[in-house]
Amino acid sequence: MDARLNKIQQIISELNGISIESPFSSDFDSTIVGKIKVSIVDSNETLIFDVKIFLEYPLKKFDTESITFFNTDFLEYGHVMGNGSICIHTSHNIDLKKKIEIDINSLKRWIVKYYLNKENDNHYEHIILQPKEFNNIHFSYLFTEVDYSFNKNQFGFFEYSKIIDGLYFDKTISNHIVQNFKDQFSKTITECKWSNHIKQLANRNIGLYVFLDNPPTRKKKFIISNWEDLEGLVTQDLFKFLDNIQKRSQKIKGNPIPLLIGYKISELEIHWQASILEIGKFPIESYKENQIWKGRFIDKDIIWSFTRNCSYDYFFGRGKLADKITKNKILIIGIGAIGSIVAKTLTRCGCTSIDIVDFDIKEPENVCRSEYSFLTGLCNKVDELSNELFRISPFVEIGIIDFRLFHNYSKVLNKSNDAKKILQKSLDCYDLIIDCSTDNDLLYILNQLDLKRLITLSITNNAKDLVCSVEPKSYDWVINQFENILENDLEDIHNPTGCWSPTFKASYNDINTLVQFAIKHLNLRFLDESIALRNFVLKTEDENGFNIKLNEF
Amino acid sequence: MDKNLHLDSVIKTHQITKEEQLLNKHKEKNKEVKEALEKNYGDSIYSPFNSGSYAKNTAMNTKFDFDMVSPFKRNAFGSKGTLKEMFEDVYDFLYEKYNDVATVRKQKVSVGIEFHSNGDGDIVKIDVVPGRELNQDQYSDDENLNLYVYYKYGNYDAGSERIKTNVQAQIKNIKDRATNEKESIRKIIRLLKVWKNTKYNYPTKSFFLELITIKAFDNKAITGNLWSKLETVLEYIRDEVTKDGFTLKDPGNSSNDLIDSLTESERETLSYDMKNMLERIEDNDENIKTYFPENAKFVEEEKADNKYENKGNGFYSAPPKNERFG
Repeated sequence: MDARLNKIQQIISELNGISIESPFSSDFDSTIVGKIKVSIVDSNETLIFDVKIFLEYPLKKFDTESITFFNTDFLEYGHVMGNGSICIHTSHNIDLKKKIEIDINSLKRWIVKYYLNKENDNHYEHIILQPKEFNNIHFSYLFTEVDYSFNKNQFGFFEYSKIIDGLYFDKTISNHIVQNFKDQFSKTITECKWSNHIKQLANRNIGLYVFLDNPPTRKKKFIISNWEDLEGLVTQDLFKFLDNIQKRSQKIKGNPIPLLIGYKISELEIHWQASILEIGKFPIESYKENQIWKGRFIDKDIIWSFTRNCSYDYFFGRGKLADKITKNKILIIGIGAIGSIVAKTLTRCGCTSIDIVDFDIKEPENVCRSEYSFLTGLCNKVDELSNELFRISPFVEIGIIDFRLFHNYSKVLNKSNDAKKILQKSLDCYDLIIDCSTDNDLLYILNQLDLKRLITLSITNNAKDLVCSVEPKSYDWVINQFENILENDLEDIHNPTGCWSPTFKASYNDINTLVQFAIKHLNLRFLDESIALRNFVLKTEDENGFNIKLNEF
Repeated sequence: MDKNLHLDSVIKTHQITKEEQLLNKHKEKNKEVKEALEKNYGDSIYSPFNSGSYAKNTAMNTKFDFDMVSPFKRNAFGSKGTLKEMFEDVYDFLYEKYNDVATVRKQKVSVGIEFHSNGDGDIVKIDVVPGRELNQDQYSDDENLNLYVYYKYGNYDAGSERIKTNVQAQIKNIKDRATNEKESIRKIIRLLKVWKNTKYNYPTKSFFLELITIKAFDNKAITGNLWSKLETVLEYIRDEVTKDGFTLKDPGNSSNDLIDSLTESERETLSYDMKNMLERIEDNDENIKTYFPENAKFVEEEKADNKYENKGNGFYSAPPKNERFG
């Protein structure tokens, strides 16, 4: 250990502009600690940093660096955490000397950018806070946008639904979804913009909120830690409101109740932080001033819990499909392997309006190559898939279309003009219909209608090829691909329970690879309309490694 | 499969003469409209004549209409009469005469008359294109006419008073080719029109396809069997249509460049479609069937019977080859 310590100290001391302020030593858990002095170029100024180097160094500690530079004097500067540690993001290097050089250079870059130039980042940095447990349990509150502008000092109730408990490292976490905001008289003033499914969640409870206008911070980026720090930021009415609530809630004394504290982070966006109060021990007191009773917060630490802004732009912020797809009203016909994968992909990629239709029952043997689960046993595919999709996105509306009616109008009554008109009319509302039914008869019928956009997806046996039609009146093209062009080996089929239920062979991996490729291609074409979207076939080849070839028609 | 046999069948099954009853009805109505115009306008009108695909012998039986140019004398609507007045007058006359038995509407440069079906499903459609000679008696010399643009047409805005054209020159453009080449050109034009009809709202007009085919014949050595000729034309379109400086001059009015009827991205798409088509047919001859489909209505009975031999029929439990999966 001493050898490592000496080596680190020597490397640091030899760096340009760096000197050892306090010699390095190993503490009780073998973390190396010391102090360095950094000279600023073209200036006589020097900065002192405590340095901590953990045992993992030069490797990372989970997703953070295992070297830390501290100075609590710099809390007001950008990218400094509450304990004074400087946020540095550096490169990977497994060589101790090179890694120290890289990390010290990152520190120097921080000094120039945030200490000397006092730069501010363009993007908003959330307030830094350290959520704590209440009675050994963490709490989280997931919120989204509302069509409402809160006023400064506005307060009232909010309603939330408890969802599933989980573990946050080694502590229980109780998760909740904010549903609506009410005024102080319990009248709902605005609903959160979730899907109807989320809005219908039960397990409701009540919390409190106050809107401050400005973030409750110290040094502009650290959240306040004591209730007294809110002094002057709220009105006397809030104390009366809190006092009343507490008096009315004697029966549930000791229970936690969340208090959301809201503030603007831009002209258009607000954020909420959640503190946990204990009923019976609200951090308020009354006092008399000029013969008038008044309220104030007491000297008590705030227990902050977790909040997350889950509004659409945040939820899908890391990646989604083109708006030209996500803003569509979509119908998926047939939710077997391909259809369920398509539905799940569209949902995860930001689509918010998906109707599904399928007559089929999910069997255990469907699970291995579609988006269904074993534990739901036998059930309607539409019911299980809609539940799956609701669990993924809080913004997706799923409609289940009656398959009997759909069948009647498309197949049984298809020769009557009236039925055709009814079918046409019922499909007029969809911007995009994705037919994954692999039903040639249905394709023939749909081919005769005037639909805004019909896409069909199907594969050959063993998922050798995927056939995707996107152009109107493509029935002949699709049939020609299967009948005359593509290899569709129907001898080698999976035939497990007798000759009347044969099915194709292909794994989830085989099918999903092609479906994702197809969706990727469609998305690109939707994004760039300079080249028209055309029917296409994805041909696979696995003789010299796996290859997918896109053949557009 | 033999691509040439298939293409021959495509042309054969799309021949306008296959729809004899419908063709005759069109001829009858065409005669009636022509005579009505002549009777109504008397000395003010030259003899109306057929233009469009029927006149050029490139018509198809899947998309059927007759175009009739109605050439008016310079002073037919008074010495100060406008082209707009000509267009409105012809519309009013045809509306008055046919409103009870047809839908009469104003179109881009014509008045469309769509006669109601008499229960047999046959719909007769005749587009009358009113045109007026530029100067007194000049039409007899050069057959130039001015049209009125009712609704934005190519580069011409709605209400434009001067779209000079020479329909006879347009017709002769095809008709005057050497006989053997002329037949090939017509076949290729018909095939391109068949292809265009497989697409929804494709932006190329039939006239565009005619001109570009003729230009391909002018600029390339187009020889061999029908497929080989078609292939050369498709390659020509693929390679040339996106080039700067590529023009498609209207033989009826050299200042009208048909390439301007497509946007940059439509030109890209047309080239891309040709490229894809050539590649896919190269991959597998059978793909030609969906690019250039036969008119199923006239595929011979015996051929139709054999068409799906060993393909569409499930044999006991084995699913048929057109079984799709997913």
